Amino acid sequence: MAAEGLSLAGIGKTFRGRGRTVEALREVSLTCPAGSFTALIGPSGCGKSTVMRIALGLEAPDTGTARIAGMAPAEAARSGLTGVAFQDAALLPWRSVMRNVEAPLEVLGRKRDAHTARVRALIDLVGLTGYENSLPGELSGGMRQRVAIARALVTEPQVLFMDEPFGALDQILRRQMNVELQRVWAETGSTALLVTHGIDEAVFLADRVLVMQANPGRIVEAIEVPFARPRAPSLWSDPAFHALCDRIAEALTGGAVDA
Amino acid sequence: MAALPGERASAGRIPPGLRNLVILLLLWEVVGHFGLVAQGALPSPTAILERLWIDRADYPRHIEATLIGSSLGFLFGNLIGVGAGIVFALSPRMLRLFRGVNVAIFSLPAIAIAPILTLTLTGMEPRVVLATLGVYFVTMTATVVGISQADSRATDMVRAYGGGRVKVLTMVQLRGALPSILSGFRIAAPNAVLGAILAEFGGGGDRWGLGVYLLGSLGQGMPTRLWGIGLVATAIAGLSYLAFALIARRFVGATRAVTLNAAVPGGDATDEPLASRLLFAAGSLALPFCFWWLFIWGTGAPWLIAKTPLGVADYLFFSPASASAQARLLHALGQTLPVTGIGMLVGLAFAFLLAISSRLFPEAVRAFMPVALVTQTMPLVALTPLLVLILGRGTSLTLWVTISVTFFPAFVTLAQGLALVPRSAVELPRAYGAGVWREMRMVTIPASLPYLFAATRLTVPRALLGVMIAEWLATGTGLGNLLNQSRGYLDYGMIWTVAAVAVLVSAACYQIVVLAERRVLRRLGMRTAE
Repeated sequence: MAAEGLSLAGIGKTFRGRGRTVEALREVSLTCPAGSFTALIGPSGCGKSTVMRIALGLEAPDTGTARIAGMAPAEAARSGLTGVAFQDAALLPWRSVMRNVEAPLEVLGRKRDAHTARVRALIDLVGLTGYENSLPGELSGGMRQRVAIARALVTEPQVLFMDEPFGALDQILRRQMNVELQRVWAETGSTALLVTHGIDEAVFLADRVLVMQANPGRIVEAIEVPFARPRAPSLWSDPAFHALCDRIAEALTGGAVDA
Repeated sequence: MAALPGERASAGRIPPGLRNLVILLLLWEVVGHFGLVAQGALPSPTAILERLWIDRADYPRHIEATLIGSSLGFLFGNLIGVGAGIVFALSPRMLRLFRGVNVAIFSLPAIAIAPILTLTLTGMEPRVVLATLGVYFVTMTATVVGISQADSRATDMVRAYGGGRVKVLTMVQLRGALPSILSGFRIAAPNAVLGAILAEFGGGGDRWGLGVYLLGSLGQGMPTRLWGIGLVATAIAGLSYLAFALIARRFVGATRAVTLNAAVPGGDATDEPLASRLLFAAGSLALPFCFWWLFIWGTGAPWLIAKTPLGVADYLFFSPASASAQARLLHALGQTLPVTGIGMLVGLAFAFLLAISSRLFPEAVRAFMPVALVTQTMPLVALTPLLVLILGRGTSLTLWVTISVTFFPAFVTLAQGLALVPRSAVELPRAYGAGVWREMRMVTIPASLPYLFAATRLTVPRALLGVMIAEWLATGTGLGNLLNQSRGYLDYGMIWTVAAVAVLVSAACYQIVVLAERRVLRRLGMRTAE
């Protein structure tokens, strides 16, 4: 079962700067079962984005192996199994919304015409109907982020990676986007890995929250999130929700003393 | 390279630039009309226009010849520049290997190789080659910078879907580099005109071309004609600049990234073993000389005329005439280098003072900026004959030419760099009650350092070019004169020697500035300004 999802085993990564070496990751292992939603949370500089970049095949680990549906990351990427949304949308500024959403198809060498209907459906799904021909510069921050989500879904990925996809948005917009993301993810049934530094975002979206600490970057705790799906906005004012958030906050700071 | 900032026009009100231009023209008219400058060497605009009208039958063929040469050079230079830029951006090793060639092309004083080109090539070819060289460097740099500054988040997106080097290039980098390349074109366009005119200065018996016309009119005692030619040359260069500025503006709008890219650029792998680094350095040094050989071999010029690097070494050190040649060369260098150094320093100092005082007198500098920008599109050094009229043929001419060709580009580079200093950085000392002077010392002056270095790099070859042209055309001293004389005496060994020495000196000075820049900026934790 895990073979269909994502698994990292014993990942280590060291960066060498000018005469300085930084051990970014040490012995990071995680398994995301197919169809699960996992959140990776940690302070700035703990290496959580590096974990995702290794899983995507953008960086090679020094030790350990990464597998997506049993394949090496680069191989999985080439066969179109993965979808990705970065912080700050990373849209191509000279392409319309429609053409931006289609970009992954182009990289994978798939025919764009065959997918026009789904691209339109995705744009509709993220609530941007009518903006198909707008340029990113003409959209608000939240709208650009929704384009990025639609783009991440266009290849019908089995594994969906998100690196602080709403990091640049304000709290209000962010919560709206969280609700929408949950809906979209539930409709596609993909395996999701969300990298974030927002505790409430992680708890609201994920089945399981992995807490990371820095120097060296490592996973210190895995916390299950028991709330039933679909989760409603009312969850944000639920005392149980806050109790869980507090627990994660504790895990984030607790180990820092002995690190 | 110097690029213009958004040339913004404030609607409704008369822009101060235009107002100043009108004032300047009126002043010029009065001064010219009464012959107040250098016994009438500065004619009034109306007198120049009158002469232009009288000479109107001469112009079309001269303009045509220069335009053909510069357009072909512009075309070739851009093709080679964009192609090489793509290769260099994809392969840092190639960039390192070709560094010597690129530095040599950037720093070669065009006038130094003009005689060589007219000796070995025929017809339009010298103009095309010099124009190509002038264009190549600008476009190549713009392409490399544009490609390597592509949004790393967007390239990550393509790579995350398994896209390789080619996909990243075609989908993100080339399109993202377009504004940079276009702004390169716009700076390269006047360079092409300048290159063609300088090649025409180099002689070669061609009857047509603005450079030929300018040179031929120098002895006629007709200031109005000289000014007319100068204005036409400037207009051509300016119009070509304007055309590409308009095209660039159309594209830039859609291409600017919407948010700031905060990703730290991946450091280049300096883990390479020393042996391989030395190999690349040696190759980079040797390559320009290989090109020299290739050029001679390609043109098939006879050995008597075309000197290889070995030929030049032989002439300078082992031939019977070597003692005299060395003496003449050293004498000329002794005359040229001090003037170049002083002129450059003064030009840079003026530019620096004026640029940092833009914080003190923003209005005055804003009004001056359009003038400085206009000069960017002028083939300034090609207008040396005009300065000869006003300043005569002494050392002061050389100095003024040098100062003027270094001051304007340096000022534009510095002023634009300072405009990039974040407002918050400037306001921080103010918020704690600092005066203007303290604010300058804490923020503006340190922030301007990278641009001061960039300006110095930019002006080294220009200063040498300016001095050599002045020497060639007017003062009869230094390297420029030695080159011109050797041309007359058919002293081919000396022609090649002066060209090689001029390029070497210029490249060495450039390299010294680069090394100093790296040291200082690294200590201050700053990055090199492009």
